[in-house]
Amino acid sequence: MSPTQALASHVFLFYVSVAFGLLVAAGAVLAVLRWGLHKDVDHAWSSYRGWLILVPLALVPIFLGRGATITVFTIVAVFGFKEFARATGLYHDWYMTGAVYLGIIGTGLVALVPDPTDGKPGWYGMFMALPVYVIALVLLIPILRNRSQGQLQAIALAILGYLYFGWMFGHVIFLANAKHAYSYVLFLLFAVELNDVAAYTTGKLFGRHPLRSNISPKKTWEGALGAFLVSMALPWLLRFTFPAFFDVKDLILTGLIVGIGGQLGDLAVSVIKRDLGIKDMGASIPGHGGILDRIDSLLYTGPLFFHLVHYYHGLF
Amino acid sequence: MEPWHYETAQDLELPAIERLRNFPREPDMFVYGVRVAAAVVIRGWLRLYHRMKIVGRENLPKEQSFVLVANHASHLDTLCLLAALPLARLHRTFPAAARDYFFVKVPRLIPAAIVVNALPFDRHVNVRHSLALCRQLLENPGNILVIFPEGTRSPTGEIQEFKGGIGMLAAGTAHPILPCYLHGTHAAFPKGSWFPRPRQVQLIIGAPRVYSHLPCTSASAHTVSEDLREAVLALASATLSQSETPQAKETAS
Repeated sequence: MSPTQALASHVFLFYVSVAFGLLVAAGAVLAVLRWGLHKDVDHAWSSYRGWLILVPLALVPIFLGRGATITVFTIVAVFGFKEFARATGLYHDWYMTGAVYLGIIGTGLVALVPDPTDGKPGWYGMFMALPVYVIALVLLIPILRNRSQGQLQAIALAILGYLYFGWMFGHVIFLANAKHAYSYVLFLLFAVELNDVAAYTTGKLFGRHPLRSNISPKKTWEGALGAFLVSMALPWLLRFTFPAFFDVKDLILTGLIVGIGGQLGDLAVSVIKRDLGIKDMGASIPGHGGILDRIDSLLYTGPLFFHLVHYYHGLF
Repeated sequence: MEPWHYETAQDLELPAIERLRNFPREPDMFVYGVRVAAAVVIRGWLRLYHRMKIVGRENLPKEQSFVLVANHASHLDTLCLLAALPLARLHRTFPAAARDYFFVKVPRLIPAAIVVNALPFDRHVNVRHSLALCRQLLENPGNILVIFPEGTRSPTGEIQEFKGGIGMLAAGTAHPILPCYLHGTHAAFPKGSWFPRPRQVQLIIGAPRVYSHLPCTSASAHTVSEDLREAVLALASATLSQSETPQAKETAS
């Protein structure tokens, strides 16, 4: 990954054109709705403003290269965890949050450095083993402080926070080290967000039967089905962006991972939010809520997609 | 399974900039770190560039809540007062800052909220609410307030009238109020200038005063404000009698 490679890669140029085209089209549609037909588009408009920030935030580091991508995404992970800590109350414990911050930054570093055994980009072995060390560190903290009151909750939240933002998000970050990084990373980001948008749109148009009424009141079976169908079709439509060795079973499995995993990721974070009694994890992204609200589907599908590719074809 | 109790942050639904405008602000590791680092740098700069001298540190109460009251002629004033306080109490020190001036645009909001830990104070509308907030902060032992009763920076350096608010806070309560005199900040960085000049700055912290014997009325509030102004003037003349005359010093700089 590098700027020159990006400009020479038909995959990168394709995704950038699609993203740019969609932003322009959506902006035009919103403008017509707002000033032509005088409809109330405040919610959609603030959501659009969020996209205007998110799309460059993802594409510019990817353009700049592997190092920039890993660095920027790690910073996003740090802030995403900060929101999680504030939402769950873990932020009151600075040692625990500090340990998880170290773990997340460590994960970024491990993705950045070359593997000492074979020189490949990213130290894969250490990346997969890192949860061991972070959990060991988190468990150590109450022992060092000679404290037990409330510590089970702190330990559990810290470990969950690291696994979510360090390790699972780390899989998305580590994908930047792949030989076909543009194909994998850009597809994943695009497909997962499209899955969310498809679920929302189909749900708004045809939604009637609640999907998980105790978890997310707005989601419907119709919306889930619509998203699933779009996500199953997408790998075929975008087959030309994948490397040549990507065969039918890869396309089917990718479709299933994004189509089902994307919904599950969203619902998983909704479970957490419902239990906490909050609507959004934060307000960092105008119109979208917090960072976790935007990347929840990515955190679930990213690792599954990563290991699908790595198992059948090897990442490098 | 019994549900856990989660202490979710109070300002969770606010974006970052709004969180800074809000008060009270949730403790934040990053903000605290930046504040401490900035405090160290500012103290070093005051000591070296402004050759700052602090007299009367022993008057500062050790554990109680108290209020520092000083003359106001420069943005440096708050920084000087903060520099006299122990670093351990940095995050529990709340300098009152005009909401209409410091909490509107982002370039002033960031240093006010993050570096100075300012308390948004409504100068013109809703003053009662701001004073009630100050009272609440003082009820909690260990908080320090920094208030400039003139209400704005003096354009000439002369100590203007002290507004009644500090009197309302102090009359009838047991919280110590420490009158302080700042010398040289007007010469160094007056209202309207862009960069501080390397003039010497001095801070004299007076003995604490308690007004618990007075009733909580607007008449006694006025008395307290007057009394504090006299105290600051007394500190001023004590300082000036120890050095050259003010006129000579002004013309020299």
